[in-house]
Amino acid sequence: MLIEYGPQIEQFLNAVIAGVMTGALFGLMCAGVGLIYGVMGVVNFAQGEFMMLGMYLAYFFTSTLLQSVLGPIVGPFTAAILTGPVIFALGWLTHLVLLRPVTGVRGANVEAAGHYAQLILTLGLSLILANGGLILFGSSPTSVRTPLTSQAFQFEPFGDADVMLFINQNKLVVTVFAMALAAALWLFVHSTKTGRAMRAAADNPDAATYVGINVDGAHRLSFGIGVAATAIAGGMLATSISFQPYSGTEFVIIMYAGVVLGGVGSILGAFWGGMVIGMVQQLSGLFLDLQLQSTAIFVVFLLVLLFRPQGLFGKSAERT
Amino acid sequence: MERITSRTVGLLLGLIVLYGLAASLVTNSYYQLQLTLIPLWACYALAWNILSGNSGLISFGHASFFGSGAYLVVLLAVKFGMSPWLSIPVCLPLGALLGVLIGYPTFRLRGYYFALAMLAYPLALQNIFEWLGFQEVSMPIVRDAPAAHMQFTDPRIYTALSLALLLVVVFVALKVERSRFGMSLFAIKQNEPAAEAAGINTFKWKLRAIVVSGAISCVAGGFYAVVLLVVTPPSVFGAGVSAQALILTMFGGIGTIWGPLIGAITLIPLSEFFRAELAEKLPGIQGVIYGVAITLIVLLAPDGIFWRVKDRMTRGRAQSGSVAPEIPVSVLHGERPATGEVMLRVQNLSRAFGGLRAVDNVSFDVHSAEILGIIGPNGAGKTTLFNLLNGFLPPNEGSVNFQGKELVGMQPNQVCALGVARTFQVVRPFLRMTVRQNVIVGAFVSADTEAEAEVMADEALHRVGLTHKADALAQGLTNKELRLLELARALASRPKLLLMDETFAGLGRDEVEEMLETIRGLPAGGTTVVIIEHTMHAMVRLADRFVVLDHGAVIATGLPNVVTKDPQVIEAYLGKKWMALSAEN
Amino acid sequence: MLKIENLIAAYGPVHALNDVSIEVPDGGFVAVVGPNGAGKTTLFKTISGTVPAKSGRITYHGVDLLSVAPPDRPKLGLAHVPEGRQVFKTLTVAENLEMGTYAATDHAAARRQLDLVFTLFPRLGERRAQLAGTLSGGEQQMLAIGRGLASNPKLLMLDEPSMGLAPAIVDNIFETIQGIHKDYGLTVLLVEQRAAEALGSCSYGYVLETGRVVLEGAPSDLMKDDRIKRAYLGM
Repeated sequence: MLIEYGPQIEQFLNAVIAGVMTGALFGLMCAGVGLIYGVMGVVNFAQGEFMMLGMYLAYFFTSTLLQSVLGPIVGPFTAAILTGPVIFALGWLTHLVLLRPVTGVRGANVEAAGHYAQLILTLGLSLILANGGLILFGSSPTSVRTPLTSQAFQFEPFGDADVMLFINQNKLVVTVFAMALAAALWLFVHSTKTGRAMRAAADNPDAATYVGINVDGAHRLSFGIGVAATAIAGGMLATSISFQPYSGTEFVIIMYAGVVLGGVGSILGAFWGGMVIGMVQQLSGLFLDLQLQSTAIFVVFLLVLLFRPQGLFGKSAERT
Repeated sequence: MERITSRTVGLLLGLIVLYGLAASLVTNSYYQLQLTLIPLWACYALAWNILSGNSGLISFGHASFFGSGAYLVVLLAVKFGMSPWLSIPVCLPLGALLGVLIGYPTFRLRGYYFALAMLAYPLALQNIFEWLGFQEVSMPIVRDAPAAHMQFTDPRIYTALSLALLLVVVFVALKVERSRFGMSLFAIKQNEPAAEAAGINTFKWKLRAIVVSGAISCVAGGFYAVVLLVVTPPSVFGAGVSAQALILTMFGGIGTIWGPLIGAITLIPLSEFFRAELAEKLPGIQGVIYGVAITLIVLLAPDGIFWRVKDRMTRGRAQSGSVAPEIPVSVLHGERPATGEVMLRVQNLSRAFGGLRAVDNVSFDVHSAEILGIIGPNGAGKTTLFNLLNGFLPPNEGSVNFQGKELVGMQPNQVCALGVARTFQVVRPFLRMTVRQNVIVGAFVSADTEAEAEVMADEALHRVGLTHKADALAQGLTNKELRLLELARALASRPKLLLMDETFAGLGRDEVEEMLETIRGLPAGGTTVVIIEHTMHAMVRLADRFVVLDHGAVIATGLPNVVTKDPQVIEAYLGKKWMALSAEN
Repeated sequence: MLKIENLIAAYGPVHALNDVSIEVPDGGFVAVVGPNGAGKTTLFKTISGTVPAKSGRITYHGVDLLSVAPPDRPKLGLAHVPEGRQVFKTLTVAENLEMGTYAATDHAAARRQLDLVFTLFPRLGERRAQLAGTLSGGEQQMLAIGRGLASNPKLLMLDEPSMGLAPAIVDNIFETIQGIHKDYGLTVLLVEQRAAEALGSCSYGYVLETGRVVLEGAPSDLMKDDRIKRAYLGM
């Protein structure tokens, strides 16, 4: 029987492997978004653009410096990790200059966009960053070369049933890194005093102030870390796909689909949400045309929003 | 509401004619194309404004409608040779249908989830059309009678058509804005629960708004296909197209027809100019300009340029607008009628949250023409009780019977339609509108025409003694006047029963006196009053009877001077053992 | 220790506090009572900084409190146990208490303080790993007080600890508060609606009504005064 369904099984299992690997990366991306949304209640439309900047920054670091110093394999990954601190600083500044004036204001002008203000602000920011990127980097697709991209482990798990599974080496390294970083993020938020203070600030800003937590600072920190995590994910993604300045916008829905699916308020949930989205993307390729993979994600996203807004692991139903 | 004045009409017509004349002088076909597109985008932005600007439900996905219209026109032309003169009108029902399909499920979502869902629809459509193979579809060139297929050699005709469309759309938008349609949407934006309690069926109005908005956006998209001749998924379904409607309107001014017009006439030429000049050195400069524009607007003038300018201009005029003298309220009311039969019967009403019984087996009657005070220490469940009476919260047990009808299970707007009105503690008026315009929203539930609503609004203003301020902007009102405004809004529907929630908080002694007079006069006008209040020194002089709640349960009912001496009541307020301790001392 | 002079605080046009002056001496137990809407919670919020003061002064050990940023005020030794408990529902009991020590500079003292909290409230010790949102009302109140004590404060501010709690539990809470005051010499500022419980424990009382101090004095004098009843019941 195994031999009869060999090709389908092979296709399916390979899709699952690809799904897990894509999912791990999406998971890291979503964890970053989940942190921002969970702590600050901010939907950041520019999240994709910070990721895009991470991609270009990784490319920049690799091509100028690390490739020669650390070699073609270690170089790109170190570059990806180095984008973290840089984008953290950028996010920190962005919150201070742009977001704080808007998120701090409470119902002062009644006819204004109200809590939509920061949505629209980040929309403006995303336009500036994406198009600014176009001006700075040009529109031709770029990617970060690493010899692992075209190498894969091959193995046949079922003996001579002619089922050949591939694990792309580059993606495997990326998956390990992504999971490690997501775990680090989770540990930070749950096991460190600063992380717990951030959760306290999200839970009850007034009570947090009463115990001496600087809620505004907590927001800024979470924004910086959130965009940094997504940027590092981008830097790693840059080794397997080609990207251009508008790549960020493609990922915004993926990121929020993952966060909503996993449930707002939980970084772990956001990670698993991203994992599920990654699986959906790869598995939908089994029976849908490649072009419709994104549509599949959108449909899943809409279904979750309409029928289970609290997600799979979520605590609160919605944030208004 | 604000009428459509001949001044506004004249101004709009004049601007359009002026634009048309200026356009007729332009011979360069590239510039003419830009002149055609500006009114087109203005139509699209006006359509967006009808839904999002007026109701506050910010849509990030209007490209769903726009793109559908574009593809409808181009595909009907390619597959069936249908002329745009026929297919563009078909965009109206298509857009309306899409509005219902999108609005019905999505309006159930709140806040960010609504925004994200709206964002996803056009992106999904973009994907689907790419997959269907429609990467690039062109309008077929017609040699035979091209005019019958909306194809003209003189590009100025397209501009004329665009202006004609704008003329129609701007008047539709104006009609919506200056009617009960627009006022209901504004009320929803301002305070949705209060709008519901005032009898406005919020879901129905939102749906109507998205239907009109979608229909017009669809038409705009259809015309876009005709003008540009080529339709690609990103150019009509892309996130940039959705953002365009939003940015033009929010930049120009949200919630007014002038906003989209200002946005279109400033941002489009500006960005196009930069794109034309600098596209080679700075590709994407257009996007940067839009991004900077919207970012600056959110930070510096969140309601848009129109309002920023208008606010500056009216700053001086914010004083009382009318010369009419203030009539002392005591003069206005007739004889206080005797209390009559039971009008509202509450029986065994209970509601728990988790393990906490917020309202515990509450029963009491309200007699017509009485003023009943619901009192009790903090946390006793008074506001929860009102929410149960109103329909905002379903009870776990019990019934609420109003003049023979069972209220439990009804929506708040239905409860209001039966004659039960409510005021809220936090008053959020339309600051930029007059007092009368604020009050008129409350009359819609009972008025058949807008003229009738105006009469009812004036009547309500008279009952609270605010007639002299009817034309003043709500911005300049004092605290007391704001409470009276809230009261007038609730009275505008001529309710038989009025639920008042904490009206006296923060008022000074004199203001409390005036407020007391006003409320005392309400039963004479046919309105029975149930009032929740903490300001006891006012309540003991106002209420005919008290119902005292503690920990969700009724502990006493009766006349004020009896209830306030009841030891159980005293201990509820002052703490257990008060009687014992004070006796000791 | 804490001196409030001519404080005015407002929410928009509404004055919640109108020229309020209150003094809390070192080691004292001061109660501020009054009916709902009197401005009691606003008083605390102004001291802690979540509501800005329009005018007036608040001095704490000589320091002008209003010029200190709100998150820095707890470092001076102020602990605010808010109205309605307001525990961090998504954090565990232990994490809640840890947050209480956030402002502490002496970490050894902070650890000893946590031991003290578990001694005072053994039930919290039993539920260390439980999410605070799943505790009962009384347990949450204990947690909120414990969180306030965890920072080893010099001044403990309690906002309506009785609200929404069953009478037996309220007795328990007040006994504990009195105990803390006597045994550890902690200065207490208590705001309460239930005048009997508050005046029965304090050394000096103020009566607040619609934003003004209408009465003040020793508890025995206050309880004889009919004006308190009038402030609450209008007659």
